Amino acid sequence: MSVYNEAAPRQMGARLRLPRWLTSEHPVPWLFPSVALLLVFGLYPILYSLWLTFIKRNPATRKEKFDPAWNWTKLFEDERVWDALQVTLTYTFVAIILQLVLGMLIALLLDTDRKGFGLLRALLMLPLVVPPAVTGMMFLLMYDGSFGVISHALYDLGILSKDAPLLATASTALLAVIIVDVWQWTPFMVLIMLAGLRALPKDPFEAAAIDGASNVQCFFRLTLPMMSKIIALAVLIRGIDLFRIFDYVKVMTDSGPGTATETLTAYAGTIYFKSANFPYASTIAIFTLLVVLIAANVFIKVFKVRF
Amino acid sequence: MEQSRLAITARYIVAIFIVVIFLFPIFWFGLTSLKPISAVFNKDGVVWFDFVPTFENYRVTLLGQSAIDVNLNTRSDFGTSGGNSYDGRGSILSSIIVAVGSTLLSVTMGLFAAYGLSRMSFRGSQGVLNWILSQRFLPPIAIIVPLVFIFHDLGIRDTHMGLIIAHTLINIPIAVLLLKSFIDDIPIDIDHAAMIDGATRWQVFWKVVLPMSKGGLAATAVLCFIFSWTEFLLSLFLTNSIRTIPVKITTFVTSTGSEWGYISALGTSAIVPSFIFILLVQNHLVRGLTMGAVKD
Repeated sequence: MSVYNEAAPRQMGARLRLPRWLTSEHPVPWLFPSVALLLVFGLYPILYSLWLTFIKRNPATRKEKFDPAWNWTKLFEDERVWDALQVTLTYTFVAIILQLVLGMLIALLLDTDRKGFGLLRALLMLPLVVPPAVTGMMFLLMYDGSFGVISHALYDLGILSKDAPLLATASTALLAVIIVDVWQWTPFMVLIMLAGLRALPKDPFEAAAIDGASNVQCFFRLTLPMMSKIIALAVLIRGIDLFRIFDYVKVMTDSGPGTATETLTAYAGTIYFKSANFPYASTIAIFTLLVVLIAANVFIKVFKVRF
Repeated sequence: MEQSRLAITARYIVAIFIVVIFLFPIFWFGLTSLKPISAVFNKDGVVWFDFVPTFENYRVTLLGQSAIDVNLNTRSDFGTSGGNSYDGRGSILSSIIVAVGSTLLSVTMGLFAAYGLSRMSFRGSQGVLNWILSQRFLPPIAIIVPLVFIFHDLGIRDTHMGLIIAHTLINIPIAVLLLKSFIDDIPIDIDHAAMIDGATRWQVFWKVVLPMSKGGLAATAVLCFIFSWTEFLLSLFLTNSIRTIPVKITTFVTSTGSEWGYISALGTSAIVPSFIFILLVQNHLVRGLTMGAVKD
C-alpha cells in the first residue's frame, strides 16, 4: 500500500499544509467521528457505571459516599439477583435451543428453488422487524384470559384452565414469554441457516447419495459438521441478545407474577425506576455485563468463532 | 434425487402451514384494529370475523380525533376530556425524526470508519474493529444510568437530539461492520489504479468507493432505520414527554384496562413501514443481522 501512498500527498501538499495525520491519507480523520462517539457515549458511561458500583447510597437520605464493597456485598447476598440470574439463564437456554432446532428444520424445509418458496421465505422474515414492544402487545392480546385467542384455543384443548391465566401463573409465565421470543427470532435462525445451506458444496452430497446414504445420515454426517461454524456464530449473536432480554418482560409481565419472570436487566430496571438506587442498579447492570463478557469469550474460545 | 409428487405436495403444505402460523399474530393484530370495541372485549368467546369493520381506532390514534367524538361507547370515556391521550401522531413524528436522524448520522460516520478500516492497514486496526464489534453486544442497561446523567447535564435528555445520539450509538457498530464488509467486496486494485493516476484518498473515496458501494449503503441505511424504529429500552429511559411509538404504545395499557383497539391500530401502523423496508433489503438481511459475518 505504501508504494501508492507517496505520489498523492506531494501533489496536494503544495497548497494544503495540514499535518499528515489530519489528511485523508491517515486513518485518524476517517475513524475519528465513530470512535469519538463510542468513547463519549459508550465507553465513558461504562466506566461511570463501574465507578457508581463503588458508591454507597442511602435511599432515604439520598446521601452518597465511597464504599467499594457495599453494593457488591449486597449483590452477592441479594437472593433476587440469583433468582434473576436463574430466570435469565433458563430463558436464554430454552429459547436458544427452540430457536436453533426450529430454525434448522424450517430452513431445511424452505431450502428449495421450487416455485413459491421464495415468497414463503420472504414472508417468514416479517416477524423480525416488528418492534419488540409491539410484539409483546400482540401476544398480550392473544394471551388474555377472557378474550385472548391463544388462551381460548388452549381452553378448548383442555391444556389450560380458566383459573390459571398464562401470564399470571408462575409456572407458565416464563414459557409464555419465551414463546414470544421464539416467534420473533426463529426467522433470524432460519435466515442464517438458509445462508449456510446455500453455501454448502454439492459434491460430498452426490458422493454420499451414490454410496447409498440416507437423508438423515447426510444431515448428521455432512450438513451439520459443515455448518458448525455458522451455527456457532448464530448461537453467539442470539445468545448475547437473549441474555440481555428486557423488552418482552417489561411490556408483558413487568417481571411478574411476583418475580417469576424477572431477568437481570429487568431487575436493574426495576431498581432504577422504583427505588432510584442508581448505584445498585448499576451494580446489577455491570454484573450482567460481566457474565455476558465471560460467557461470550469462553464460547468464542471453545467454538473458535470468527467474525 | 427425484421426489415423489406426494412428498412435494406435503412439503408445500407444511411450509405454508408454518408461514401461516408465523404470520397469524400479525394478522390477528391487524384484524383487532378494525374491530369495534364490542368485538374485542367479548366475554362469550373470541370474535373472528363476525363484526362490522370500523376505522374508529385509526381515527383516534392516527388522526387524533377525540375518543368521545368517535364513539360514545368507549370504555374509558371519562378522564379524556383534557385531550386525547391515545393520539399517536406525536409519537409517529418522534419515531420518524429519531429514526431518520440516527440513520443519517450512523451511515455517514459509519461509512468513513468503514473505509478507513477496510482500506488502511495500521497498527491496532484489528483491535479497533473488535472493540467496535463488542459495542454491538453491550447490554444497554449497563450504560443507561450514566447516560441519563450525561444527557441531563448536556441538556439533551428528553429531546429528539438526545435520542438520535443514543440510537446512533447502538447503530454505529452495525453500520461500521456492515459497510466494511461491503467495501471489502470492492477490489482494492480499483483504488490503487486511481491513486497511481494521482487521486488522493479522499478523491478515491468520493469518486470510486462511494458510487460502487451504493447498494450496501442503502441496505445499511434501511437496517439502521429499522433498528431505531423498533428500539425500546433507551427510548424508555431517556425520554418523558417525547415518546417513540414502541414506548407510547405501552402507555395504552392502564390499570383500568388495556385499550386494545388503539394499541392494535397504532401497532399495526408502526409495523407497516418496517415491512416495506425489510422487503427492500431482504437480499442483504442475513449480512445485516450478522454484521457482515455471513455473506448472502
